Amino acid sequence: MTVQDAISVLNAELIASGEGLLKKVNHIVASDLMSDVLLVDEEDMLLLTSLASDQVLRTAQIVGAAAVIVVNGKSLPSSMKKVAADLGMTLAIAKQSKFDTCIALHQRMTS
Amino acid sequence: MENVSHPTPPPPPPSEGASGDALSLTTAYEPLVLMELIQRLKVRDVMTHSVVSVERCIPLWEAQRLMKEKHISGIPVVEEGRLFGLVSMEDIICAIEGGYIAQPCGHYMTTKLVVLEDDMPLSFAIHYFDRFHFGRFPVLNRDRLLVGIVCQRDINRALLDELSKEFSRMEKSVARTTPPDIGPTTYMLREFPVAKYDFENAGKAANAIKTAMLERKFPPKMVRRVAVAAYELEINLVVHSDGGMLTWQIGNGRSEVVAQDKGPGIEDVAWACRDGTSTANEWIRSLGFGAGLGLVNVKRVSDSFEITSKVGVGTTVRSIVNIGAPLEEQE
Repeated sequence: MTVQDAISVLNAELIASGEGLLKKVNHIVASDLMSDVLLVDEEDMLLLTSLASDQVLRTAQIVGAAAVIVVNGKSLPSSMKKVAADLGMTLAIAKQSKFDTCIALHQRMTS
Repeated sequence: MENVSHPTPPPPPPSEGASGDALSLTTAYEPLVLMELIQRLKVRDVMTHSVVSVERCIPLWEAQRLMKEKHISGIPVVEEGRLFGLVSMEDIICAIEGGYIAQPCGHYMTTKLVVLEDDMPLSFAIHYFDRFHFGRFPVLNRDRLLVGIVCQRDINRALLDELSKEFSRMEKSVARTTPPDIGPTTYMLREFPVAKYDFENAGKAANAIKTAMLERKFPPKMVRRVAVAAYELEINLVVHSDGGMLTWQIGNGRSEVVAQDKGPGIEDVAWACRDGTSTANEWIRSLGFGAGLGLVNVKRVSDSFEITSKVGVGTTVRSIVNIGAPLEEQE
């Protein structure tokens, strides 16, 4: 599954295309605690979070995440779009809850 | 005293052009050193302490004479330390025009006053000048007694004085700094100042380190370990320290990240390095940090990890990762 596929499955709103749209996603990390995200060693991960802050993007960049999807249809601070563009990070918003987002992506990855 | 307005938190400063010739500072775009200063300095640090005042029974012409003699544009009306009003230049002009300059100050003084408290941060005073457009504010202490008066000139003078001291300190600090050396082949050294609670910029140093290493084609797994260590240490400086410096250097096949802060220091270093222990408050946690995993994670990704700390002095954390040579050199 690519980031583009994940965005399609979730019918998510693409905020910043970044460099991740065509990247392969092999792992999904769902967390609002950036300290936890920093403990994950997997490459090719997609970060799902309900935390809408610039630090989510910086954390994602540090761990090499392919993209960030903010769940629950949260409205983003205006700075996030700019930070995403600066970092080349793909950023999208999904309307579903974190739980439903995980289920939808799991079904897509195992189908 | 009924008409004296007690200070209330000021509204956010206007974004542009509203202040005329008043000193106006916003928090988003001013240099950090200036923003730290206006939070650190209190009104009492910049105000004029020896206040020229009159009592209510004193005639207005005497207030006028004092204002001329002392080169001031307003004079508080005070009895036994309590503020009753203020005679301004405008009050004097009205008294001359109205023919009542011989009347007591108490009858014609301005009683609707806005005052500051002496332990308020200087930022309050600056916002008040911006908001009310008065030439001066009387300053009261906790017992509601007049202890000073502050005008924009006092603020400008104090800020220039403090900035001069700050620059002097910075110059000395730069002159003292000799780059640490981790080997004869050190070929990159970068320093990133990190300010307390500066979440807006938190992570930029780690991102810069990661980008620099990727550009030089170091193995991605190694880059990730160094970046995670740098990021955790940078966040720690923002969250827990009074500000400090993140230093990164590579050479001799190793990457070394050092976070050195100016305090407050850690009482129990062993406790702080334990999984899940943290002194972070709810606000920090709401930003996704402060779970007590930072130092544990730095240790996890480092080949060598050291921490020293002294309460009241500061903390130094050193993370070394054996990164080998850039990929192109390996080929």
